[in-house]
Amino acid sequence: MAVFTLRKLSFSYPNSDHKALDKVNIAVDQGEFITLVGPTGSGKSTLLRLLKPELMQNDEMTGEILFHEKPINALDARESAAKIGYVAQHPEEQIVTDKVWHELAFTLENLGQKQAEIARRVAETAAYFGIAPWYRKRTSELSGGQKQLLNLAAVMVAEPEVLILDEPTAQLDPIEAARFVDTLYKLNRETGVTVIISEHRAEELLPLCDRMIVLDQGKVVCDDAPRVIAQKIDRNSPYLPYLTAAARVFIQSGSQGTCPLSVREGRQFFKQTAVSKETTISQAQAESTTAALELKDVFFRYEKDGADILNGLSMTVNEGEIFAVLGANGCGKSTAAAVMAGVRKPYSGKVKLFGKALREYKNGTLYQGNLSMLPQDVESVFLRATVREELKGCEAVIEKLPFDLSPLYDRHPYDLSGGERQLAALCKALKNQPRVLILDEPSKGLDPDSKERLGELLRALKADGMTIVLISHDIEFAAGCADRCALFFDGGIAACEDTADFMNGNRYYTTAVSRMTRGICRNIYTVDAAAVMIGGGRS
Amino acid sequence: MREFHEYNPIAVAVYYLCVTAVTMFTMNPIIIGISLVASILNYALYAKGGVKPHLFSLILFVILAAVNPLVNHNGMTVLFYLNDRPITAEAAIYGAVAAGMTVAALYWLRAFSKAMTSDKLLYLFGRLSPKLSLILSMAIRYVELLRVRWRKIQSSQRALGLYDDGNLIDAVRGRARVLSILITWALENGIITAETMDARGYGTGRRTSFKLYHIRMRDIAIIAVCAAAATIEIVGLNAAAIEWYPIIEMKLFEPVSIIGYTGFGILAILPVIINTKEAIRWRYLRSAS
Amino acid sequence: MTIIKNQTVRTVLRYVIPFGVIPALVILGATVFDEKRYLIISFGVAIASIVLFMTGIEKKNIGSRRMVMVAVMTALAVIGRFIPLFKPITALCVMAAMYLGAEAGFLCGALSVLVSNIYFGQGPWTPFQMLGFGLIGLFAGYLSEPLRKSRVLLIGYGVLAGIAYSMMMDVWTVLWYNGSFSPALYLTAIVSAIPYTVLYAVSNVTFLLLLRKPMGEKLGRIKLKYGV
Repeated sequence: MAVFTLRKLSFSYPNSDHKALDKVNIAVDQGEFITLVGPTGSGKSTLLRLLKPELMQNDEMTGEILFHEKPINALDARESAAKIGYVAQHPEEQIVTDKVWHELAFTLENLGQKQAEIARRVAETAAYFGIAPWYRKRTSELSGGQKQLLNLAAVMVAEPEVLILDEPTAQLDPIEAARFVDTLYKLNRETGVTVIISEHRAEELLPLCDRMIVLDQGKVVCDDAPRVIAQKIDRNSPYLPYLTAAARVFIQSGSQGTCPLSVREGRQFFKQTAVSKETTISQAQAESTTAALELKDVFFRYEKDGADILNGLSMTVNEGEIFAVLGANGCGKSTAAAVMAGVRKPYSGKVKLFGKALREYKNGTLYQGNLSMLPQDVESVFLRATVREELKGCEAVIEKLPFDLSPLYDRHPYDLSGGERQLAALCKALKNQPRVLILDEPSKGLDPDSKERLGELLRALKADGMTIVLISHDIEFAAGCADRCALFFDGGIAACEDTADFMNGNRYYTTAVSRMTRGICRNIYTVDAAAVMIGGGRS
Repeated sequence: MREFHEYNPIAVAVYYLCVTAVTMFTMNPIIIGISLVASILNYALYAKGGVKPHLFSLILFVILAAVNPLVNHNGMTVLFYLNDRPITAEAAIYGAVAAGMTVAALYWLRAFSKAMTSDKLLYLFGRLSPKLSLILSMAIRYVELLRVRWRKIQSSQRALGLYDDGNLIDAVRGRARVLSILITWALENGIITAETMDARGYGTGRRTSFKLYHIRMRDIAIIAVCAAAATIEIVGLNAAAIEWYPIIEMKLFEPVSIIGYTGFGILAILPVIINTKEAIRWRYLRSAS
Repeated sequence: MTIIKNQTVRTVLRYVIPFGVIPALVILGATVFDEKRYLIISFGVAIASIVLFMTGIEKKNIGSRRMVMVAVMTALAVIGRFIPLFKPITALCVMAAMYLGAEAGFLCGALSVLVSNIYFGQGPWTPFQMLGFGLIGLFAGYLSEPLRKSRVLLIGYGVLAGIAYSMMMDVWTVLWYNGSFSPALYLTAIVSAIPYTVLYAVSNVTFLLLLRKPMGEKLGRIKLKYGV
């Protein structure tokens, strides 16, 4: 039986002449697990929000949305709140109350449930999601992954029939994201809840889901099982980035047969096609060996009696390279970035920029043309009401950019998309034309296109002679643009090598392709390289 | 271990309200004395280490006790003259009792503040109005969130070379900048929170308020004891007439007042008794196992 | 105050408190009790008025957006109380009241005191402070139209709020110290509190002027964009 039936659904926003959704027909069956992908602005969020009546006024809508064969507007407010669960992107902003237990009870309180009923459902849910150990904690103490899990649990407590998720893992690190997706899958299997999820990161989702819907410019372009879609897509398709690494290698190399989706299937595929291949890709050696930024035995803690966050951190970033510091969320990477940028002072150890200790840059000269940092939360950068005012004084930087920012000038920084916002903030960071640029999680929450553009920009800056320190949990992004990578763990650097050696040396903390090729062929860690190797070998 | 502060917040609040009110209600030296000793004992149960608050209380006591004889020159028994003004024993004793009252009340309130964590406050106000308890809970969450963000903005502005606290004007300007960014950030992203609330059924009808605390027999017992003791005080203390000036005349030990003192004494020492009893029981349980 | 279980009881309270409890307390204070009891009486009146207002909130239909905005403004005011000497709490309550309404102003004032006293310590002064800042917010809400239009009026309100709050807290100081109200002591208290009163008034005006434009723009944009 269909839970949702969308018939000829069209929608456009007020003051906009183009259609956000254009004659969409979708039927969602009970218990299905559906992944929704598409570029930014394709109408994914609009579609998902229309399925949750509380979020969207649907006066501008034509066509119909049926929930259990009845128009969705006919649904009683309380029923709609309970039966259709909705989780969005930002873990932090979706939390309403101060305590975990209160957050879990929130939905049921709103629905006017009795004390005994709330107590029972909250207990059940907390136990199922493994929340019991932090049941009485403050919500502000949780990690990003825990927060998002709490948001999911707080919705599931009302026993919804359908779960709608709008890019729920975009702000999480890969490990947290995988755990979140696993929980969803478990929920879907064990409770039969219907799941509709939109996501940029398909790696974990596609092998698990029943159906994949590709949306572009408000139209449904593909709607089928992921493998069927992968078989149909060719190497020039704009939808290629939404497939998994294994599928992309398969398609880009022009292979025949069954398309692999998961890493496991990808390994099988490599075993069959690339047996006994000893490909070595020549390494471009970094020309410069002058140290730009040096950290030596740096120790840092926030409070006198607290634990060391940086525990003898030593590393050297060479001039003119892109250096990636990789590690999970909450491991202290951002603290390391703050120490590198001179915002935080270590209690022991040395931080040098071009051979001179940071504190010897007097009167703010450090930030005048020497060093700059783009923080993780770019909201912390914007002060003015328009992008134009915000970027005053950055004209020289904007001119050099490979893209045109002028269409954004009259908009409020908060009205920009994630990718645009990141670019605008980056311009601000580049204003004083620093020699060393530190970026903290610049690719967080970006769609594949924006990531591509960001990578391009970083490479262009590097070509201009800038030294870039990239602090990130995004391994795939780092693999695409870094010269050297370091694994940050337990307050120090556990491994630091050229990107190729780093990716090949790691077993878990490496790209999906590297995990597929490990032990089969060497030095292959990006989709492009793998496709060239296999495709080239065939032709 | 069920300490007194883990009793139902209503019972705890009623208790502290009662002892503080009785203390502030009277100038009876016996009651004040009992209250002072009990409040210090009680406070010591929760304040782990540190002499600072006690030192503060001592200084406060001395100042308050000294103010009255210096200002008030009533009374027959002149102790000595200061700047040709008589310092009397009556005024000095009155000052000491008044100071004792204030210090005792402060000790009770300090313990009360320690007991009233945000959870308990929310519970009390949640009974008043579920909507109010929600808005309080949200405000507390935002306090924590915004403090973290304040630090984030400060460090990111600094790394962009836009924040400097070298001199006072720069420091003020820098802080104003940080505050402005913080406000925008909070208000703009608040909309996501509001949408989440809508999605989770806020405003669909009457709310209820989930309570983490249960009312047990012992909570009712505490409230009953408080009510009984308060009644005895009001009746009993009116019997103890006190005249301070020109010469102190006290009829402190009427039979009714003795009942009053006993009642208040038991009340004031109750948390100490409960906690000690629990501690002993735990020691016994552990050694028995 | 803690046994209000349902709507009917709450409704009853809304009538009983203003027409029953508060007059009874005052009459009781004037006739039955001797002067020692003024502190307790005033304490009771303060709590009763707050309870009255808070039960009124429950009946109001406050949308989620307004709730969030009030919570944010309250939190900002709480954080503001950590700033030494200059405190933006009044300015923030007035802003909340001007753009979000009188109830929002009262809530912002009263709740920011309640929440910040979790950190600073609760005591018998809590209800008085809550009532003080709550009323500053409430009246600003009633005057929101003229206050938004005229800067002079806003400055005047800031100064007045500073003086009125200070004088109200002086009443409490006198009652606490003396047990009964004494005009002479009250005068002393007012005089000795002059530096603080001036500081209140000055920081109120400073923050009001500082925040008026940016805060107005920010709240105005939010109201326009999301229809609060």
